[in-house]
Amino acid sequence: MRNYFLLLMMSCMNLSAVVLEKFPVDSLPEEFSSYQITERLNYTGKELYDYINGGAELYISYGLVSMTGCKYTGENLPQITVEIYEMTSPANAYGVYTQSRDKEEQDYGQGSQSFSDFILFWKDCYFVIVNTQEVVPESEKAIKYLAGVIDKSIPKKGNIPAIINCLPKENLVPAGFLYFHHYIWLNAYYFIADYNILNIDEKTDAVSAKYGESDARSYLLLIEYPDETKTEKAYKQLQAKYAPELKSDEPFLQLEDKTWFSVWKKGKKLGAIFNGVSREKTEQLYKTTIINF
Amino acid sequence: MEKLITRRDLLKKTAVLAVGTTILMNKPLDLWAWGAGKGKKSKVILIRNQQLFADGKQADATIAGQMLDEALRTLTGQKDTEKAWASIVKPQDVVGIKTNVWNKFPTPEILNDIVKERVIQAGVGADNISVKDRGVLDDPVFQQATALINIRPMRTHAWSGVGSCIKNYIMFSPKPASYHDDSCASLAALYDLPFVKGKTKLCILVMFNPLFHHRTAQDVSEEYMWKYSGLILGFDPVAVDSVGLRIIQGKRNAFFGEDKPLNPPAKHIALADTRYHLGNADPAKIDLVKLGWDEEAFV
Repeated sequence: MRNYFLLLMMSCMNLSAVVLEKFPVDSLPEEFSSYQITERLNYTGKELYDYINGGAELYISYGLVSMTGCKYTGENLPQITVEIYEMTSPANAYGVYTQSRDKEEQDYGQGSQSFSDFILFWKDCYFVIVNTQEVVPESEKAIKYLAGVIDKSIPKKGNIPAIINCLPKENLVPAGFLYFHHYIWLNAYYFIADYNILNIDEKTDAVSAKYGESDARSYLLLIEYPDETKTEKAYKQLQAKYAPELKSDEPFLQLEDKTWFSVWKKGKKLGAIFNGVSREKTEQLYKTTIINF
Repeated sequence: MEKLITRRDLLKKTAVLAVGTTILMNKPLDLWAWGAGKGKKSKVILIRNQQLFADGKQADATIAGQMLDEALRTLTGQKDTEKAWASIVKPQDVVGIKTNVWNKFPTPEILNDIVKERVIQAGVGADNISVKDRGVLDDPVFQQATALINIRPMRTHAWSGVGSCIKNYIMFSPKPASYHDDSCASLAALYDLPFVKGKTKLCILVMFNPLFHHRTAQDVSEEYMWKYSGLILGFDPVAVDSVGLRIIQGKRNAFFGEDKPLNPPAKHIALADTRYHLGNADPAKIDLVKLGWDEEAFV
């Protein structure tokens, strides 16, 4: 009898938890204008392979919890797809966002980019995509409406990863930086190595950033490790494999292609500059970065 | 043991060979594949026809067929189209045409039909031909296949850099996700699977309207496609993909007005050469024959 009572109590508790917890997908209207939901999307973790095959790894590399959403159709109207990716943290939602956007707008959530066929934004732990198969006035209006509905349904805001604040603003290419903690993204802007030369993993925060004009581009890489031992190890590894000539009191080296390279560490953070166009500019970027460490 | 490569390693090689550093930015493949297989060159045919989309959005089936036949004649060295196809498949063959059905960007149906028609004309019974993507492992024709034809469109991919001929065989694995590690670095190993090994007779990389960029993993936007109006044919899937990759990289740089490397790099193509020795990725080891329209070819 006691067990039965406990079971009943637990069931009630679980039920109340379910009732209380609202997900952004729940805010989506069953129908609006001439559209109605004709398919629901619900994938947890690696189930996402069933939806986008290998492309799912992008989201998995940022700690995907689930993807929920739906498809809307309407008579003689292009299909609209809503995908709401719930990540393990706001930092991860932000990271996926930085993979996708090439312009920073503030129309939805905590950062967004809108195209005529496509809206993407991030807010709290969520990265959201709303897109229409074809652009017609009704569908263009509809994706804006749905993005607004989802935005409003997410009550909280998340913090941008602290390492982003270490990026100097001067000469930073607009929307030209990428937050990550999977080594695959190390080469996103600039090929550095075909393996995990800097021991990047889910416990490291990393950002790659582009500086300067396209014909005089430098790349800044910042990584924060969980402890100084790991920072030291990564620093030594990069120095040994990439620039064994580099001296600790002289962190600038001109490479065979006449570009400048620099790597340094301070506390738990490591910084590196690739493709520096001159020693002077590389040193300047180094100085403006290290004061933010 | 395979050498792990840094950009600095490549720079040192570049300096030794006095190659411009723009090669490194635009075509790291050129350098990654250095020193790979010392065997003979791989012949690859790139054919383009500006009239392919002359009537609008749909590719013209007649022109597509003519392009395919001309490219195959050049590849096989046969003057006669029937003989060219007969050199690919024999009447007694059981033929699996490994297509790609991804709903956002599938292999054009007209090409699946043309290839099937040509295989029938070469004397293979219709019952001994299957055109399939998902479910190939359970398909009776594919299970008994003696010849495979690999055909798919070229596109960028959020995890492997590009989706092209090497990657098209991932459905021959009962566990496709087991090839995802290290941004799909081991895709070339698919060609060693018993189901596949030694059976590939022709690779066709469809460059009608390739996708050269995506905003998210699922994104296929017309803004990032262009009517290249081409086909790439070869026997060596690595060489075919290598040529396709250079075209995609060239288009990205031209479109964005800056070096815009694939994210992540399509390292599986280079490794198909250097690690798996499946074929030639190094452009110096590819005998590229270009036919037809040459404007903005990017190779």
